Amino acid sequence: MLKYFVMTCEALMISAILTGACTGYAEQRYPKTGKITLFVGTVLGILGAAVMAYLKNATKLIDTSLWNMRNFIAAAVVLVVFFLVSALQKPMKCVGDFLPPILLCLLPALVIFYALPDVLAYPYVILLTEKTVLSTNFLLKTVGILFGLAMMVLIAAAVRRGMRRLPKPSDFLMLTLLLLVHTARQISVVLRIMLTKRMISSNHTLFSIAKFSSNHDNWFTFAVIGIAAVIPLILLVKYAKITELYHNPAEHRKLRKAQRMTRTWAGVILCCMVFSVLNLTSIKTYANRAVELSPVEDSVIQDGNVVVRFEQVEDGHLHRFAYVSENGVQIRFIVIKKPNSSAYGIGLDACDICGETGYYEKDGQVVCNLCDVVMNINTIGFKGGCNPIVIPYTIENGSIYVPIEGLLAYEKEFK
Amino acid sequence: MNKKLIGIALIAAIAASLTACGSSTTSTAEVSSAAPASVAEADTEAPETEAEKTEAEVKTDALAPGDDAAGFTEYPIFEDEEVGFLNVSAVYFQPVPMSGGNENTEDFNIHLEADVSALENNLGFGVGDWVPYMTVDYKIVASSGDTAAEGSFMVMSASDGPHYGANVKLPDADTYSIEFTFHSPEENGYLLHTDAETGPGGSFDEYFKDGNLKVTYEGWEYVPQEW
Repeated sequence: MLKYFVMTCEALMISAILTGACTGYAEQRYPKTGKITLFVGTVLGILGAAVMAYLKNATKLIDTSLWNMRNFIAAAVVLVVFFLVSALQKPMKCVGDFLPPILLCLLPALVIFYALPDVLAYPYVILLTEKTVLSTNFLLKTVGILFGLAMMVLIAAAVRRGMRRLPKPSDFLMLTLLLLVHTARQISVVLRIMLTKRMISSNHTLFSIAKFSSNHDNWFTFAVIGIAAVIPLILLVKYAKITELYHNPAEHRKLRKAQRMTRTWAGVILCCMVFSVLNLTSIKTYANRAVELSPVEDSVIQDGNVVVRFEQVEDGHLHRFAYVSENGVQIRFIVIKKPNSSAYGIGLDACDICGETGYYEKDGQVVCNLCDVVMNINTIGFKGGCNPIVIPYTIENGSIYVPIEGLLAYEKEFK
Repeated sequence: MNKKLIGIALIAAIAASLTACGSSTTSTAEVSSAAPASVAEADTEAPETEAEKTEAEVKTDALAPGDDAAGFTEYPIFEDEEVGFLNVSAVYFQPVPMSGGNENTEDFNIHLEADVSALENNLGFGVGDWVPYMTVDYKIVASSGDTAAEGSFMVMSASDGPHYGANVKLPDADTYSIEFTFHSPEENGYLLHTDAETGPGGSFDEYFKDGNLKVTYEGWEYVPQEW
């Protein structure tokens, strides 16, 4: 659940902040048309993302990279036109109140159209492994996604309220900074797409830029969070005292209420931004931590074999044993009694695909520690896929005999 | 009226930019500028060849002609390296769910694929035939010298035929070297007729007498993609 919460937040963080910022700015600057156009833009983005999520996962029609590139170029064109129109608004009175909000509404639409399809497709990805929507895992992961979406709605709403209250021209400055960072990221992604698709020839400089931007992609997210965190700071300074004139107690109460509301939303934005940083650092690390494998159990060395007695392993749970080679390498193997059978699944605690990462037991299932693939317990002991590497063994007198020679052949799997 | 005209003109300009960019789905570029070097060898020998120019093509239409499959775009790593009786190409694309409990794709960055076909041989394989029953190991080494990923491929079929492949976790952009090691099909129980009447006339020992066959490619400039 936590992993999907973090994944959802990470995927949508920039979109949520930008949507909130564009909406708040439009509502303040263009009170007549801003609200409705930005609402339409957001809804269009969500509907487009839903269609894209379907097309990406149910058809072969979509080359995601190409669509992202189109999206980013369109966003850049909109951005340039928006700044031109904003700069020329006074001399060009004809553009009035309708053109800038229309351009602004396209930005959240495009950014949502880019980021949301992957999140909407998470349930489909989960179903690939869970097989049914009725499983506990599916439910928990879906709840994680829903919490993530709720968090993003809260962030967008808080940033919108904050932007709406920012004094001019700091609202324009904040919006410009957010859009510039976002555009810088989009340019870096377009470069990566063009290099990968070989639309342009690679050279050392271009590849170095692409490599750096790819390996530090989260810097853009943190930059956007950092800029958004300045919004409440400006609000807290501006609304520290009531500076507006009032003529009667009623007006004073109204101003005090506005001050309280502004400070409350400033606090909400600050809390959201601090939480977002924690979410994308500490919580993410925690959510993706490796599962600690159960300890190696005792076994007996006898006549060149590691001997495991049936009593040790007949409870139907996963058991881990090991032999330590002369080089000090611990060569692990697992044993599990197969369900509704007297047979045992025996294999190395490593697979060809994922190496020595090992397996753990969860809810009666054996799971690969690296790729989360759930093993069919009945096929443990057979070669293939992410199954444990097959090792030789014999069963005699109520014990499992695993030849040390057979284990040593796989010493290199355990570094 | 003026307002409407300006609005329509701007929307038309944006729509034009949307449709104009990125409409090409197949592109080619020489990648020799990054000085990639390919080495095909047996385990016990290391006869380096010169860095060669590779016409690497990003193939979008990997399926049958007329099949609209923009979502299946193969990104080449190297093409047509020859070792022993094998012709080897390497491509990657988005992680894919596979049967047999290998449906999970969320923790992987790419699906790495070794396309292996037979060259002229006396093992009974037709030229261009896919060569089955091999264990194929892969190893991806970062520019720092650290191993970024390694393992053995699984055997599978996609819509473009059978191949050796695996979903691989490779989150960092870097210039990697990639090595494929091919074990003899005989190790997995593949047999050859040995009589004069029906046998193909050769044996796997001819090709594997010096050990496993290896193909190494250096200078793979890889950047993770959003799939």
